[in-house]
Amino acid sequence: MNGQHRIEDLLRELAPQVLAALVRRCGQFDACEDAVQEALLAATLQWPAEEVPDRPRSWLLTVASRALVDAWRADSARRRRETAAALDPTGHAPAADPTLVPGGGLAGADRDGTLALLFLCCHPALSPPSQLALTLRAAGGLATAHIAAAFLVPEATIAKRIARAKQRIRAAGARFELPAQPQRTERLGVVLHVLYLIFNEGYTTSSGPALQRPDLTTEAIRLARLLHRLLPGEAEAAGLLALMLLTDARRAARTGADGRIVPLADQRRDLWDRAAIAEGQAILTGTLGTGPVGPYQLQAAIAALHDEAPTAEATDWPQILALYDVLTTVAPGPVVTLSRAVALAMVHGPTAGLALLGTLDSDDRMAHTHRLEAVRAHLLEQTGDTTAARRCYLQAATMTASLPEQRYLELRAARLHHPAPPASSGAELSFAAAGGLVERGRITAGGDGRPSRPCHRRW
Amino acid sequence: MKYMIMMFGGLGAATQDRSAEWIAGMHELLMKLDTELKESGECVASDALADPSQAKTVRFTNGAPVPTDGPFAEVKESLAGYWIVDADEDRALQIASRVVGYTEYPMEVRRIMDHSAQP
Repeated sequence: MNGQHRIEDLLRELAPQVLAALVRRCGQFDACEDAVQEALLAATLQWPAEEVPDRPRSWLLTVASRALVDAWRADSARRRRETAAALDPTGHAPAADPTLVPGGGLAGADRDGTLALLFLCCHPALSPPSQLALTLRAAGGLATAHIAAAFLVPEATIAKRIARAKQRIRAAGARFELPAQPQRTERLGVVLHVLYLIFNEGYTTSSGPALQRPDLTTEAIRLARLLHRLLPGEAEAAGLLALMLLTDARRAARTGADGRIVPLADQRRDLWDRAAIAEGQAILTGTLGTGPVGPYQLQAAIAALHDEAPTAEATDWPQILALYDVLTTVAPGPVVTLSRAVALAMVHGPTAGLALLGTLDSDDRMAHTHRLEAVRAHLLEQTGDTTAARRCYLQAATMTASLPEQRYLELRAARLHHPAPPASSGAELSFAAAGGLVERGRITAGGDGRPSRPCHRRW
Repeated sequence: MKYMIMMFGGLGAATQDRSAEWIAGMHELLMKLDTELKESGECVASDALADPSQAKTVRFTNGAPVPTDGPFAEVKESLAGYWIVDADEDRALQIASRVVGYTEYPMEVRRIMDHSAQP
């Protein structure tokens, strides 16, 4: 089992390098991508039974090249010239294996190739669902069936999505190369956003009945780690990795045994992953101040403050509020305002928070999310207006498309209707629970960023 | 044989006056049953639908399709969730009875049409 995991890790590590090398040699991103998938499959079948070859990267490249040639042969004779070029052993000798150990450094060509691959998968001509699927397959080395299982859609859906994405890339005339400035910064922003969406998809749906779902958060962290290693000087790439680690560290405490949501304030902090928190803190500390401060670094800093508090009551809310103030100037948006309202309420009282929430009532971007009403309900509960709080909880419950959140909101409403005898969960505790909701808030523009939701009124 | 076991929108309204413990018990029952049906291989598909108040209905109005807010049927008749199970009718009724026994709210059990010609 352990050996199997090691092989899997190695394959996923090598997949983008092999694909990049193949594309550089032969062009034709779409055909190369299929060929690498075949090579990965062959390795999955053969390596555990036999032995991992001495030069696994060359092995994969050879098998993928063969698969590519087979595909070309089948395609037509018109490609014979290119076939000859692909097979030419003198022209492009495969590089020696630089990464036999996962996590090892990357040489220049592999580094640029993997980066170019990420930029291509996150091409702006693609829709977010296509970017996610293609990134997971081409850069993450995941099989179509795994991606489909992770998004809970049929395999054929993902297969078509990937095929269409590759067609689009070709039609857009996208080149397999690193974009030049000033586009590069913008394109890097898209790559970061795609990794962020993959993480969010995994993070917000990881609750619920335990089905066999490949872990999207783990995959997002793996890719963010890769990106950080490729671009150690990019402060926001580091910030994103830190944010993921510091957030995912709380995973074990986020849901109860029955799949029920446990808000941040009520979580058992001894279940938090201390190693992940330490790693996230270290990355963040090494990054802050080295470049322009961006939204990912700021969110990571906020997550770190939550992680550092030994108890919910000990949370440094004034510092969190100060960070939200900065976030509001760097990346203003309704979701940031929503989170800031919670911090404001924790520092200056629920009335101040409610007043800030009032500024969002006329914001169309909040019309389709339950989060505004959910936070308002928590703040109203804190003021003691249980009737209004209950109304807001129920309203939020009808608006959410997340089953665990709906159950959580219905329960909170029911609790106000039939007040339980005053036990440990006083107003303070339930109020801090709002932080648990906002914790899952997303700051990116363009709606809530869920990639698989069909768009209304798209005609 | 496949059956669709349907739950309706009125359940939500009917449970609003229940206690937190009762609601937690209902959630627990539904999740437990869902897990059981998936583990036994009887479940072909299952989903819950978002609240009907969030629904849109597209109507053919003045010669063109026009989307309007709200569900087609009354909220209490509007589909809220379903299981599709590969089982005989007795078993499908048994599954529905387990839920209705707790919620006291009706569910509908309907056979799904076969695509193949029957002998």
